[in-house]
Order: sequence, then C-alpha cells, then structure tokens
Amino acid sequence: MAGSGNAHLRPRDQVLLQVEDLVVEFPAGRGRTVRAVSGVSFDLARGETLGIVGESGCGKSSTARALVQLPPPRGGSVRLDDVELTTLRGEALRRTRRRLQMIFQDPISSLNPRRRVRDIVSEGTRVWGAGGDRVDEVLEAVGLDPATAAVRRPHEFSGGQCQRISIARALVLEPEVVICDEPVSALDVSVQAQILGLLEDLKERYRLTLVFIAHDLAVVKNVSDRILVMYLGKMCELAASTELIERPAHPYTRALLASIPGSGLDLPPADRLIKGEPPSPVDPPSGCRFRTRCPRAASRCAEEEPEIRPLTGGHWVACHFPETA
Amino acid sequence: MRRRLGPGFWIAACWILLVLAGALLADLLPIARYDETLAGPPRSGPSADHPFGTDGLGRDVFSRVVHGSRVSLGVGIGAVLLGLAIGGPLGILAGYRRRATDAIIMAFNDVALAFPSLVFALAVVAFAGASLRNVLIVLGVLGVPAWTRLIRGATLSFADREFVLAARVLGVRDSRILWREIMPNVAVPAASYAFIGMAVVVVAEGSLAFLGLSVQAPTPTWGGLINEGRTLMDDAPHVVLAPSLVMFLTVLSFNLVGDRLRALTDVRHSGLEPVRQAPPAAPAAPVHAVGDSLLQVEDLRTHFVTERGLVKAVDGVSFTLERGRTLAIVGESGSGKSMLIRSILGLLPGSGVDRSGNVYLDGDDLTRRTPEEMRHILGPRLGTVFQDPMTALNPVRTIGAQLAEPLRVHLGMNRKQAREEAARLLAQVGIPDPGRMLGRYPHQLSGGMRQRVTIAMALSCGPDVLFADEPTTALDVTIQDQVLRLLHRLREERHMAVVLVSHDLAVVREWADEVIVMYAGKVVERGPTAEIFGRTRMPYTEALLQAAPRLTDPAHHRLRVIPGRPPDLVDLPSGCAFQPRCAHARDRCVTEAPELLEDGHLYACWYPTGSPISEGAESRGR
Ligand SMILES: Nc1ncnc2c1ncn2[C@@H]1O[C@H](COP(=O)(O)OP(=O)(O)OP(=O)(O)O)[C@@H](O)[C@H]1O
Ligand code: SF4
Ligand code: SF4
Ligand SMILES: [Mg+2]
Repeated sequence: MAGSGNAHLRPRDQVLLQVEDLVVEFPAGRGRTVRAVSGVSFDLARGETLGIVGESGCGKSSTARALVQLPPPRGGSVRLDDVELTTLRGEALRRTRRRLQMIFQDPISSLNPRRRVRDIVSEGTRVWGAGGDRVDEVLEAVGLDPATAAVRRPHEFSGGQCQRISIARALVLEPEVVICDEPVSALDVSVQAQILGLLEDLKERYRLTLVFIAHDLAVVKNVSDRILVMYLGKMCELAASTELIERPAHPYTRALLASIPGSGLDLPPADRLIKGEPPSPVDPPSGCRFRTRCPRAASRCAEEEPEIRPLTGGHWVACHFPETA
Repeated sequence: MRRRLGPGFWIAACWILLVLAGALLADLLPIARYDETLAGPPRSGPSADHPFGTDGLGRDVFSRVVHGSRVSLGVGIGAVLLGLAIGGPLGILAGYRRRATDAIIMAFNDVALAFPSLVFALAVVAFAGASLRNVLIVLGVLGVPAWTRLIRGATLSFADREFVLAARVLGVRDSRILWREIMPNVAVPAASYAFIGMAVVVVAEGSLAFLGLSVQAPTPTWGGLINEGRTLMDDAPHVVLAPSLVMFLTVLSFNLVGDRLRALTDVRHSGLEPVRQAPPAAPAAPVHAVGDSLLQVEDLRTHFVTERGLVKAVDGVSFTLERGRTLAIVGESGSGKSMLIRSILGLLPGSGVDRSGNVYLDGDDLTRRTPEEMRHILGPRLGTVFQDPMTALNPVRTIGAQLAEPLRVHLGMNRKQAREEAARLLAQVGIPDPGRMLGRYPHQLSGGMRQRVTIAMALSCGPDVLFADEPTTALDVTIQDQVLRLLHRLREERHMAVVLVSHDLAVVREWADEVIVMYAGKVVERGPTAEIFGRTRMPYTEALLQAAPRLTDPAHHRLRVIPGRPPDLVDLPSGCAFQPRCAHARDRCVTEAPELLEDGHLYACWYPTGSPISEGAESRGR
C-alpha cells in the first residue's frame, strides 16, 4: 500500500480538520530512522467520525500523537479550521490544545495513580481557570456518580470505569475534536459495548468530531462514518464504512477482512489473500509496501508507488490493481 | 497499603526515632556529660549508673554514644538532603527534557560515578580540614550522581506514561506537570532511597571518623568512639561494642525502612493474594465413573484463601475431551479460564490454594501425581502455549537450544538428532528457513514468529493434548488467522486434542468443536459449538454474543449492553451469579443457584432463552 497523494481531500472550507502528507519519523539506532508514518492525508468534517485501522506498527498511534503535536510531525500539515498546528510553538500551541483532546488505550496507565478522580478530571479546568462547574456534569455524562467517584483514586476502579474517567477528563474542556487511540482494546466485550455506546451518546451531546483508531475492524465499523486503512505507514483505502466492508477494493483490506473469524463476508480464505509477515519498517519494500505479501503483486508494484485514486462515490484506493466488482 | 509494611518496618522506624530523639535531647537527658572524666571508675562494665559502662578515662560511654549520634545522624540526614537537593532537580530535568539536556547531564554523571569516591572524600577532608561541615558537604556531593541517576530513571518511567501525555494534551504547563503528575510518583522511590542513602552515609562517616578524618575530639562520634576503644579491646570490650552495636542497628534500620518503602512501589496489592491454605473445598468422595476418554475432568475446584475472603476461581468444572477435537473455554476476564487450565495442569501457586476434583488422562488420575511425576507428563503428554510467547522463551538462549532441550531430556535424542528434529518442527509450524532460525534469539523474531516457536516447543514431544491459553490475543488479526489455521492443521496431522482458551466468541465459533462458557468460575453453558451458537440458552452467553460488534451490522448499530460488570469473586451475588445483570432474572434466581441442566446441551439457568438467535456466518473452508 503504499499510497500517497491528496486527491481524496475535500475542499478546505468543508472540513474541520485537515491532515496533509503527514510524516512521522523515529530514530532506529545506528543513525537510521524509521518512517512510522509516510505521507498520510485525511480530513474530517465537523461531527464526522473517521476510523483508522491497521495492524500493529502501521503508524496508527504515531498518527494520533502527531495530530496533537506530541511530538510535532517531521513533515506535513495538520490544520484545525484555519490554524496550522505544526508550526505553532510554545504558548500558542498550548492555547490551541484544548480544542483537540485524546483518549488512550491503557485505561490504567492513563490515570495518575496518586491523584483523586476529581483532581484528574478537573486538571484541565484548573489550568484554564474555567469550567470548574462542568466536572460533575461530565462525570455524570460518562456514567459515574460524582459524589462517590470523585474522591477515590484510580486503582479503586475497573478498567472500564477508568476509561470513563479518561473520557470525562478529555471532555471537560469542551474540545471540538477527540482522538481515541484504541480506547476499547483493553476492555472485555460487555464493557466494550458500554464504552462504544457512551462515545456515540457523547458525540451527539457535545457535537464532537472523532478520530477513532483501532485494530478491530468490526469495532471501527460500529462507530465510524468513514474508514481509512493503513499499512506500514501508508494509506491503502478510504471509504464510507459500509462501502469499505462490503466492497473492499484494496488487496490488504480484503486480507484484513478475510482474517476476521466468522466475518460473514463473501471473501476467499485469508491464507489466499495474504502471506508471510510484515516487513521491517526500517527498510520498507520499494514501490507498493504491501507487495511482499500481496497475491496480486506484479512487477509494476515494485517499481512505482501507487497514488491514491477514486473508484466510485467517495471510495478511494491506493493500488495499481484494485479489486473492482 | 499501610498494613503491608510489616512489623520489621515499625520496629526499625521506632529505633530510628529513638536515636533521633536521643540526638536532639542529648543535653536535656539526665546523664553524665560526655566529656566528664572520672564520672565512674575507669573501664568499668555496664552498671545501673552507666548502662554502657565507662571508658579509659572514666567517661560515661552511654552519654558519649548518645552525643555521638548527633554527628552521625546530622551528617546522614544533611548529606542525603544535600545530595537530593542537587541530584533531584538534575535527574528530573534529564528525565523530562531528554535529548541534549539528558545527554549532557548524564555524561557528567557517568564520569562522576566512576570516581573512587571514598578516596576522594579522604583527600578532600584531609586537605580542607576535618570538620562537621566539610564532612557533610563532601559526603553530600558524593551522593549527587547516584541521586541524579535514580531520579532520572524514575522520571523517565513516568514521563512516557499516558497520564503525562494526557496532561500535555490538556495544555498543562511543564512545571505543573512535573509538580503534580511526576513528583508524587517519584516521591516514594526517592524516600526509599533516602533511607538507604542515610545508611551509606552513616557508614561512610563512621569510616572517616575511625581514620580520624571526621569531627575532631573532644566531640564524640561513633566512628571515633570505636577507634578510641580499640586499645581497650582486651579488658573493656564494651567500649567498642556499645557504639558498634548502636551504629549497626541504626544502619540496619535505615536499610530496612528504605527497603520496605521500595516494596510499596513495586506491587499494587489487590488484597487477593493467597494468605494460607484453603480448607478442602468438597470433602465428599467422588462419585463418578472413569471413562476411556483421552481427558476427563471431574468436579474440578480451585479456591484461594485471600485477605479479602475465599476466591472460588474454579468452582466445579467437569468435561471430557477426545482425540482430534478442539474444546474452547470462553468467558470474560477473571472468569477463571486460565485458572482452569493451570488447575488441570497442576501449575498452581504453591501456597494458599486448594484444588479438589479429578483430572484423568487416559484414565490415569493426574491429581494424584507428585510434582516430580508431573514433570514427565507436562511436555511429553500435555503441551502448553500461552498468550505471551516471551514468558515461555528464555531471552538469552537461542531458539535452537531451547527447542532441543525437551527433545534431549524427554526423548533422549543426541545433540545432532535434536537439532535436526528442531529444524523439522520449525518447518512444520511454517517458519521459513528453519536452519538459520535455530541460531536466532527470541527478541530477533516478530510476535507471530515467536508464537510459532512456542507452538513448536509445545509440540516437540508429541503431546496428546495441547493447551493454548489465548494464543493469538497478542497477535494481529492476519497473523491470528495463520496461527489458528496452524493449530488446526497440527491437530489433524497429529491426532491430538486441543483446549483453546479465548475471550473471543468469533474465534471459538470458527475453530472449536465444543465450547465451555464460564462465568465467575463456573460453567454456565457447555455443548457442541453449533448448539451453543445456534440454540443459545443461557442469557449470559446470549448477551455476550449480542454485545460483540459484527461486520455485518450496519454502522452506528447500537450494541446490546450488559449492565454492570463481572462480579467480585469474594462477594458473589446470591443464587445465580449473573442475576444482577440478567434481563431474565426473577425471584428464584436470587435465592437458588441453578445447576447445569441437560437439554440438547448443558446450561445453568432457571429461565433459559428459547429462541435460536444469530444466524451468523457458516464456517468457511479451512
Ligand atoms: N494467585 C491467586 N490468588 C487469588 N486469586 C487468584 C489468583 N490467581 C487468580 N485469581 C483469581 O481467579 C480468578 C480467575 O482468574 P483467571 O486468570 O483464571 O481468569 P481468566 O478468565 O483467565 O481471565 P483473563 O481473560 O483476564 O485471562 C480471578 O478473579 C483472579 O482474581
Ligand atoms: S496489487 Fe500491487 S499495488 Fe496493489 S496492493 Fe498489491 S502490490 Fe500493492
Ligand atoms: S438463572 Fe436467572 S439470573 Fe441466572 S441467567 Fe438464568 S434467568 Fe438469568
Ligand atoms: Mg487468562
């Protein structure tokens, strides 16, 4: 997948958040660098939920952190309305932070074990000197009883409740965009359903725009309007949720879907759609990065990186030989 | 957490307080002046007037020891505070700022750490003059590198935690993050190290004083007292012994307090750790026939006695399993799936746990086997694969060495045979280029490859039953598919039975022949896979099925929510354990626990759901 390009971005005045050619790099020892994210672009209209899926190491979390500028990306732009975040520094960046909040995967380590729940949730309001009266409201909104919960410490709560506390903390500043990085991956099915339902409610109540990152396609489909599939730091495919699941065009998306046990989709067995192991991100394959595992790979795939291009009706794919029904 | 400190801690703390009080109040105590000669007959042993006796000049040793503690404790506390005052901020700065700041600070620090510190201390004191102030400063400054390193390490480990990121996302300023988020977490390890540091300084000061390089006479110091008493060893040993003993106890106490404080940060106790042997769970003699199944488990129970109460982690589980079949055990976190497996295999923590019931392998009762005998059954007859492949692999040995070991121990192969067999096994689990892989170390492999290696290890001695506890939970979905296919293929080829533990109903539905659904340590539904999924009877199983999102559901589909959360095992609801969360519950569910009933398959419910739910996917080709 290797896809680059920006043809799929919508006009700037229609979107709230626009991410263009995002590049995130990390040192990989011996003077080398890994491109964890390599030219990824997407946008979100106000009130929309964009799901990002891919396997471990494909750059999902790096993308999420680059959006909140922790750390600022190596290249590309992140634009919230007309504010370019990547060039903001110091105080100006700090002031825009409250518009963009984040929820993390590990509910336990997202909360400072030595602080009380009320202090954790109200931290944002103390820093900004406003909204202190919202603390009880958001605690209630996430389904916790402010009277009993607020004075306790995180270890007295279960994983699902800790995740509710994290959500309350993110909401207290009335952010416009909330980035959820694998928010339910550490939770049991029954608790996962509670949190997914909660996120949908809160989205409506507070008019949130969500970026929802997960490795589980069924979970992502459940909450997202559109889904972006990533592989090894690149974009593969972008489409409306139902369209993507029902008519996957990219060979990698098809392999992902076919690997899900009991998917109920009409796809060949996964072992015919993908083979082998993901290559090292330090030394990615030339051309299309999926070619080492792709059953459709041809010589062109090694020479030329596929650009993202449109199929029909808002369905985009970065592949030389996509599956088209 | 306080109760965890133990009596040793409190005794040590009291001793430190006592010595500290003595040091502070030395002038007010009704004891002889430390420099008053002939307070008693010289060199006399302990008596009522002079509890520690007198020295060569007839001075009261007790008084001298008490006054000596002023120097020892003063230097101890002062030097540690000085070291912390300089090293603490440096460490926090290095750990939080990272990059250049960190590199520079740590470069200096490493050089400083490499310095022969006591020699340095001797030189400085000898040169600058032996006074309380000089000794304190030298010992304090010498402690700085260790403090810097400790505080940096603690800061680093928290600076990356999500709660710090979350604070930064909220727009919290760095200074406040350091103060509110990081400092409280660094404080406990710092306090623990402070006590250990004091012990070190007290010893160092003692050594300097012994060499005459600390505070000069007539002010007494512990080290000085020991030095003075040396010449009287033969006829008045108490002059040396008294200060030595006090110093020893003080150093010991500092170490003990520091150590216990550190233990506090290591583990978060849940109150669920076993404290003692549980009483036998089911005294009644077993009344069951032993069939000729490969594996037969009868009324297995595993109970823990914990501080909070009795935990029935496994509570009366029975099943049989034949060759060539896969049994899945499914349930939410804490339902007892892993404990059931460990209980079958006899791999339970040593104390505070009680197991009852029977496990028959080909009619042979494993619960009667000694741990030594079990060692020859685990491996050759029962193979295991766990969620985290790293727990099964030794990080410092090659894959080849680890694979060959069971082959040589259990199957008596020689080195060359074992190596060939190891390569064959690796090829069998789908590892490319097995010959080269034998020389690799676990960290050089991807997660999926490692899991294949542990599967190869589990299979190496040709087990009859393979137990796989969440073997794919840590893996990506495309790799999960590969590993599950592999397990299935191997089961066919080797005609084994597989026990597959999973929390994922979709995995179970796809790969198992029979299913056990667990809730709060009990089997709540059991039967052939098609029955369980096609004619679900137990409301919990049904709720679980509907709570899991499916690809075929429309986007923004509302999932069924199971209210509440899994029960606390020490405080189970009365009657049916699922009753507080169950939509079908009625009065009887509160008063009476349902037994497993047979109707097509087994389920434990008074008011089972009748409707066959969920069409779902047919199994695809494997
Ligand atoms: N050493 C122990 N002492 C006391 N209780 C224990 C001990 N080990 C486990 N338990 C309890 O036994 C219960 C079952 O634990 P088990 O690990 O079998 O659950 P599980 O179903 O495998 O969960 P998961 O899906 O999280 O792996 C838990 O409530 C746990 O707290
Ligand atoms: S067909 Fe070619 S371009 Fe498309 S995914 Fe496969 S390797 Fe990449
Ligand atoms: S016994 Fe009662 S509470 Fe338990 S599952 Fe059945 S209906 Fe629900
Ligand atoms: Mg488990």
